[in-house]
Amino acid sequence: MINPFKSILLVSSLFILLGLNGQDTYTINGFVRDASTGEELLGANVVLMNGEAGTMSNEYGYYSLTTGSGRSTILYSYVGYHTRTFPLQLYSDTVLNVELEKLSLLLDEVTVSANRTYSNISSLETGATRLPVHTLRMIPALLGEVDVIKAIQLLPGVQVTSEGSSGFSVRGGGRDQNLILLDEATLYNPSHLLGFLSVFNNDAIKDVKLYKGDIPASSGGRLSSLLDVRMKEGNKKQFSASGGIGTIASRLTLEGPIVRDKISYLLSARRTYADLFLKLASDKTLSQNRLFFHDFNTKLNFVINERNRIYLSGYYGRDVFANDYAGMYFGNRALTFRWNHLFSKKLFSNFSFLNTHYFYDLGTPEGSFQHFNWKSYLDDFGFKGDFIWYLSSVHTFRFGASATYHIIKPGTIITDSPGGISQQAELDHDQALESGAYFSGESNLGKRFSLRYGLRYSRFSNVGPATVYSYNDKYQVTDSTLYEIGDFFNSYQGMEPRFAANYMLNDNQAVKASYSRAIQYLQLASNSTAGTPLEIWFPSSPNIKPQVSDQVSVGYFRNFLDFKLETSLELYYKEMSNSIDFRDHAELMLNPKLEGELRIGDAVSYGAELYLKYESKNFMGWISYTLSRTMRTFPDINEGVPYPAPYDKPHDLALVLGYRIFPRISLGLNWIYSTGLPYTFPSGRYEVMGNILPLYTGRNEYRLPDYHRLDLSVTVRGKEKAGKRWSGEWVFSAYNAYARKNVWTLNFRQDSADPNVTYAEMTYLFSIVPAITYNFKF
Amino acid sequence: MKRICTYIRDCLAAVLLLGSVSCTERVDIELDSTYRRLIVEAEVTTDSVHHWVILTTSGDYFVNEPAMGVSGGMVELSFENQILALTEIDSLPGTYETPFAFRGMPGTTYYLDISQVDIDQDGQYENYHATSTMPSGAELHSIELRYFETPIVSGYVVQMYANHPPDQPDWFGFKIRNNGRLLTDTLIKYNVFSDELFDDGYLPGLPVGFLSDDDPLQAAHPGDTITFELNCIELFYYEFITAAHQEIIGNNPLFSGPPANIKSNISNGARGAFAAFSVQRTSTIVP
Repeated sequence: MINPFKSILLVSSLFILLGLNGQDTYTINGFVRDASTGEELLGANVVLMNGEAGTMSNEYGYYSLTTGSGRSTILYSYVGYHTRTFPLQLYSDTVLNVELEKLSLLLDEVTVSANRTYSNISSLETGATRLPVHTLRMIPALLGEVDVIKAIQLLPGVQVTSEGSSGFSVRGGGRDQNLILLDEATLYNPSHLLGFLSVFNNDAIKDVKLYKGDIPASSGGRLSSLLDVRMKEGNKKQFSASGGIGTIASRLTLEGPIVRDKISYLLSARRTYADLFLKLASDKTLSQNRLFFHDFNTKLNFVINERNRIYLSGYYGRDVFANDYAGMYFGNRALTFRWNHLFSKKLFSNFSFLNTHYFYDLGTPEGSFQHFNWKSYLDDFGFKGDFIWYLSSVHTFRFGASATYHIIKPGTIITDSPGGISQQAELDHDQALESGAYFSGESNLGKRFSLRYGLRYSRFSNVGPATVYSYNDKYQVTDSTLYEIGDFFNSYQGMEPRFAANYMLNDNQAVKASYSRAIQYLQLASNSTAGTPLEIWFPSSPNIKPQVSDQVSVGYFRNFLDFKLETSLELYYKEMSNSIDFRDHAELMLNPKLEGELRIGDAVSYGAELYLKYESKNFMGWISYTLSRTMRTFPDINEGVPYPAPYDKPHDLALVLGYRIFPRISLGLNWIYSTGLPYTFPSGRYEVMGNILPLYTGRNEYRLPDYHRLDLSVTVRGKEKAGKRWSGEWVFSAYNAYARKNVWTLNFRQDSADPNVTYAEMTYLFSIVPAITYNFKF
Repeated sequence: MKRICTYIRDCLAAVLLLGSVSCTERVDIELDSTYRRLIVEAEVTTDSVHHWVILTTSGDYFVNEPAMGVSGGMVELSFENQILALTEIDSLPGTYETPFAFRGMPGTTYYLDISQVDIDQDGQYENYHATSTMPSGAELHSIELRYFETPIVSGYVVQMYANHPPDQPDWFGFKIRNNGRLLTDTLIKYNVFSDELFDDGYLPGLPVGFLSDDDPLQAAHPGDTITFELNCIELFYYEFITAAHQEIIGNNPLFSGPPANIKSNISNGARGAFAAFSVQRTSTIVP
């Protein structure tokens, strides 16, 4: 039997030998930064113009390039920045830190060079998209608030799970199959206001990258995607502030140096105030509601010396929904401590300590006729060590390890009522240790062919104390086993190979292919499409095997019009085994025997993603179209007959446009179209105890009406004057500009006036939603 | 535990803004047809009554007509070596009653057999069968009425005091009458409860109903006699009622799973339920 780990090592060794030759080589390394703020630029292109070698700055803005001693020109480029070139003749290893100037206006003179867009042709990544922050600002947004997750929902292969929701499905996967990281800390519920906004404050964000299935070997634990969001470090050059005042929320970001170019900070805060408008309502059921969220992002960045830097980042957010009758409070806290260390010019390392805390609290006031309070939380404590070895211009290797301890407290419930006795109940906690180690390499085998190969080993163990129930084939509890504190009572492990290849047909076009296997050990106990903050994550266990996916994809990438037009067509096929769904009428809330509600089966997803993106001096836009199907087959659901997955949408189209019609006025437009979500309609009815009950013939046999929506925005910028620090802009936007009544849910009701009559009733969330926002910066 | 969950959902609905933001309207939808099924509503209780079995048929979803009774069938109820042949009530086609009044007994298993009906109209009779064992359960002590007032709702909360067997799962249903008139007269108003959260054998002051001042049919006035009825039901019937509530309330993408058929304990593809449960009652007068 072939040992995959040994195979990887053997292949890597062969590549290393092939890559080394007798020529004198030197290394040029350093950081690529924003000239005005000192922020490191992630994914900046660093290319030798003689075509010998090229690389990209890593997640911390660091690059290292080894080349021969001949003459050349080295080019640094990054989207939205002026390109810089330097003549190069290396006689020794050289440190070159480069600062790039931002373009003066958003779409002003986009300098398109062969190397600015070279990366989408030469990059080994399939199904990965980096979203520049300036692109996010171009997109008209719900309630006027620019949002990371709403933006990625406009990309091919990414589908929104419900109107207005921050949940998303990537290539047919569930909402819980996306690994969402903020400065490497996992976020379990990245939503505010039940999903209308995400937890990401655009003013505090530096970089957003989405991997659709072909996730780097350094990350694991989710089947479908990795959304890697990086916060800014804070302006190292001078104090600056930015913010916005809108119809529903306001935000303020302060950043600056504590010691110039050495220590910088960032503080960012947001708060909504929808409840202030509710107080104006005459309807008491509205005016007494408290509805708001606030969140804070903080970052402290220490450059100790050229080899060492430390980052401390934190996020805290809380949502409040409350009135005199009941209240719900939920939120996230994420903390990251990171240490970058350069062992040598070629060996970069990062060590991170991570903590995530997700909590919610739901209850009624004391003294109410049945007072209750339900608290729940989830904690992660993790450590990661990552190394990047820039061996040569041909080979780059990454390796590392990680471990995360999960503590899940599904609920502590207290109930009492006047005249009754207070009762308290606590659902069993879940503890688990999830760990992984990986090795991956990227090799440029000639000018046209490059290869990425990697292997991730993951391991998962349940840890006591715990009560594990045994079930018979009817999912009834037959026995239970108690485990003591610290007992490692169940383990799973697996190998997750990851491969990708890129063959450049010429400088304008490339063909890519990839294969990846992923294993997921934590999943969400939810069978709803939009979800609530009250959902529970639960681990694999003796009764629940980890979910596994295998995905292959091939893609054709081509650029036109001197690289102004990027196009790609990707095909993918994904199989998911040990997939999880829930029995009919499953009871998932506060259920100590939750595993009895689960049903296990398989899922298949396949599709084609077409992406066209164009940028010019005054115009930016893209079209993304996905043709796909996702089907589930579960022996105990739908009588074993395959049925469409909840997010199966055969057609999904997004058109995003940004156009600067005058120097200070820009227009933004989104038009989204998708097939209606699968739905279960009744075919018959019957009557019991005076109520009409529906009869169904199959799950998800029908579809809701197709969804489409137009969003518009107009941005008016203030006059820019030399020496004037303050700049502002007004953004006028309309979500759902033609007021389409997109169905959020469809129900079948019994007429209260004539109980024999039934009718269909649709609910839609939004008509046209206008918003005004004033953004400022100084 | 499940009643707590229902209560949690109610609270969620109360605080969510969506009720004010979202809009609903009737729409025309074309639906497929499906074949007819036998529908059974049958109970055996500890009341000394002629027990009924109601047989109807299903129809297309927008048929908008009352359910048709199934006449001429043979309906038998058997238990402890007795077989009772039920007879159809002339004035209520499809409703069959036992030949004499009898009191069901906790711990007894009852068998329902239905034959000589041709629901699918293929010229061949079908047979249907169901089983239910009457649980022995709680001991009802008393109820209290407590007036509760908020800016949103006000009315009397009915609180129950009862013992139940500790360390075993039990399930209950609640009915309420006002001056003899059944207030919980439809399936959606029939609340059920699981005692998973309470394992010490005592249900103290458990809220079991709310008599809202805003509903003239529900509101309680001084001098009214409020009668509470506690049913000790099987797990199957508890899950039947719970699932039926979910289907009646409808789908909400926030916290609803996909719609699905409600499980029945009648064989051969019939729908509905056959349930045997005990009945205890107690009354109090509104002050």
